[in-house]
Amino acid sequence: MKKKFFADPKKVRGYKEFLYILPLLILVLVFSYYPLYGWVYAFFDYKPPFPLSWDRFVGLKWFRSMFENEVRLKQILTVLRNTFAMSGISLFFSWFPMVFAIFLNEIKCKPFQKIVQTVTTLPNFISWVLVYAIAFCIFNSTGVVNTVGMKLGLFDTPQMFLQSSEHIWFKMWLWLTWKNAGWAAIMYMAAIAGIDSELIEAAKVDGASRMKVIWHITIPSILPTYFVLVMLNLANFLTNGMEQYFVFQNAFNKEAIQVLDLYVYNLAMGSGGYSLSTAISILKSVVSLVLLCATNKFSKLIRGEGFI
Amino acid sequence: MKLKKIVSLLCVAAISVGLLAGCGGSDGGASGGTSGGTSGGTSGGDSASSGTMTLEVFDVAANYQGTQSGWFGKLIKDKFDIELNIIAPQVAGDAVYQTRASDGNLGDILVLEAGQFKECVETGLIKDISSDIWNYPNLKEFQKQIDMLNNSLEGNDGKTYGIPTEMMNTSPTSYSQDVIYSSPLLRWDLYSELGCPDIKDLDGLLDVLEDMMEKHPTNASGDACYPFSLWADWDGGDGMLGIANVVQLTTWYGEKIKGSVILTPDEKFIPLTDKNGSYYKILKFLNTAYRRGLVDPDSATQDWNSACAKMSAGQVYLMWYSWQVGFWNSVDRLKDGSAFIFIPVEDQKYYTDADSYYGSGRVFAIGSKVDDAKYKKILEFLDWYASPEGLMYQHDGIEGFNYEKGEDGRLYTKNTNALMDNLPVPEEWGGKGYNDGMNAINQWIVGANSINPQTGETYSTSYWSTYKEETMTDMKKEWAAKFGAAEPVDYMKANNKLVISPNVSVSLPTDTNDIAVIRNQCNQTICDYSWQMIFVNDDATFDAKWDEMTTTMNGLGMEELMKFDIEKHTIELNAKKAAK
Repeated sequence: MKKKFFADPKKVRGYKEFLYILPLLILVLVFSYYPLYGWVYAFFDYKPPFPLSWDRFVGLKWFRSMFENEVRLKQILTVLRNTFAMSGISLFFSWFPMVFAIFLNEIKCKPFQKIVQTVTTLPNFISWVLVYAIAFCIFNSTGVVNTVGMKLGLFDTPQMFLQSSEHIWFKMWLWLTWKNAGWAAIMYMAAIAGIDSELIEAAKVDGASRMKVIWHITIPSILPTYFVLVMLNLANFLTNGMEQYFVFQNAFNKEAIQVLDLYVYNLAMGSGGYSLSTAISILKSVVSLVLLCATNKFSKLIRGEGFI
Repeated sequence: MKLKKIVSLLCVAAISVGLLAGCGGSDGGASGGTSGGTSGGTSGGDSASSGTMTLEVFDVAANYQGTQSGWFGKLIKDKFDIELNIIAPQVAGDAVYQTRASDGNLGDILVLEAGQFKECVETGLIKDISSDIWNYPNLKEFQKQIDMLNNSLEGNDGKTYGIPTEMMNTSPTSYSQDVIYSSPLLRWDLYSELGCPDIKDLDGLLDVLEDMMEKHPTNASGDACYPFSLWADWDGGDGMLGIANVVQLTTWYGEKIKGSVILTPDEKFIPLTDKNGSYYKILKFLNTAYRRGLVDPDSATQDWNSACAKMSAGQVYLMWYSWQVGFWNSVDRLKDGSAFIFIPVEDQKYYTDADSYYGSGRVFAIGSKVDDAKYKKILEFLDWYASPEGLMYQHDGIEGFNYEKGEDGRLYTKNTNALMDNLPVPEEWGGKGYNDGMNAINQWIVGANSINPQTGETYSTSYWSTYKEETMTDMKKEWAAKFGAAEPVDYMKANNKLVISPNVSVSLPTDTNDIAVIRNQCNQTICDYSWQMIFVNDDATFDAKWDEMTTTMNGLGMEELMKFDIEKHTIELNAKKAAK
């Protein structure tokens, strides 16, 4: 038997090549599939430090408790509203990094272009905790905004910027954009670099203005990249991360800022509501999966090809 | 060349961000941001490799995470050849308890809350130390108290698992400190400048504070001062419901908040959301303060570090924790009269817990996974930790640096600002700042007010006869003359203004899963609404928010939570009644 196996070079090659991707498969299994085992917690009255075997199996109790309790249901709906609103705003403005990349690319003075790119990319590497520290220094009652504003007579008592929930969704989008725009533009910069320069030169020879080149050549060329990114974002609609909202949350804006991930965190961490949080996350995963399939279908419909 | 350019660009960007964030009026060096990030990683049991044994200390009391350094680190390294690696849920988040506990190994030395201790004994995370503990004389001193704790564990047949914290050698019904944990504390210089007016009630207190602020709107360096500077990051800690700054002040009216219920002085439980209860009263008080412009506008968004920096810079005119004055009072300030001191408010009656004879609620224990060598070392360490020598280091500091023996044989304090100003410690004792090298375990087996058998005085330096003589300043004399008592507690006792709740050692049930979820959600609700209520501008909105909050909490299951809490704390109450 063994001899036969090694005798077939094609098969050996097949197995060899399989070995190449084996590490990746293991990674995926360990980090993406193994954690799914944690879903069992949603069906138990799990309470650390007692091991799972000691805890009571409760079936769908935690799923039901989400919908049976009126106040909690209201909370979940508010949280969903926030999640949709903030994801929606990001989605609505998702063209921003693309446009930014296009204009960045048009800067002819290379050193200046590099400076702009570095400065806008840098915030991506600052953690949210530090971003909040900076925000606090700038916007607290004696920070630069209040000091300058009061000196100029714009207002006579310190304004509590961080404490108001006015336009909080938009403000959150601004912070997010400040942090991410440069980083997100990198992908588009690469796509632009990939455009055949002959195309652009030919257009120029034909008398196309700069705007015309952008409109008729650059944008159509990078649109596929844009679509793929938008589709991926759509599938992640319910996942807008929690760090940003976690550091900016306070009693005054929580009603508007608490997104699904943050809600799950607030519920579970430190107080042991693990089972309920797990139940909510399961529902979230299910919805995300549905969204992913739906957008894929949608993409097939309008572009003729899916992205997964 | 290119690399150089990138580096310089990065520097420029970093500096400009720093510049932007740094301008504006300084506010006492308040550093923003939540005190979050930590390195959750711990080095496993790599004890034998370097000769020095590393002990992992899982410590709910610690507010520093990492290796013990500085003078205390050097002290225990020289003495026991050990290093302490502190794991602090206060820094890393409470989840670290749950993850480590599910993992089956919390650490080598454990400092736990009573409920956690109970759970961990049940799940076998704690080592049974019955057969060895009584070989250690300093721990044996406290056998009565240690037995009391362990016997209160359900179904325990005489085994010993834990050692209570802050035990005392006085009695469970006495109160031997000069000040209580929470009472209104004002700056004496500012108060006497106003002619020491009598304060009738909370409104009177606000009048006084408003006058102070009017006369001194800024501190010496020109930063804005407010009577109140609050902070939000302690909310919901220690299983309490509601915001920490309010919960603490409710003891001014003899009431004590126990989870979702309030224990009144006549030993009844009323709901936390009762409008006649002290939570409503104090919240209203803070709201009134806000409306009169007495609350620091950063209160809801700053963290404890920022608030603390303001206290040290003299930007705060009201304090309420007995230890809080440590950020301002010093011998010099006591001498020039600018220190904080208790000023009675006529309609108040103060709640305090009696001497923690049986312990303050937390527990020292040893992890079940320690090997024999570690086990022996830990017991030796804990025995020293409870010995007069160890206690002098913990409560008094280093001989020669924090205190010295006088010619008359009595102990004299020195460098009393060592903690506040983080004075540099000489190299022979370990170097670094004094505060940097403080005992990071931050929890003691024996309380500071216990009597040190070697001196016949307390461990706490503030009760040493020499310290009392030194601080018998004009300020203290004036205070004593005005209020007719030597110390705040004497005044309270003499005027029947002190409710002392006896110290007991009982084991209370821990939250079930359903209760935990309700408690968490109710707590978040009450905290959010409370902060909003402090910052509203009229009574109608205040009451509307209160009603909205009550409805939400009831909807989340407040009834069930209260039933659980009343049952739980009745056990404690009955024990207290028996102890009287």
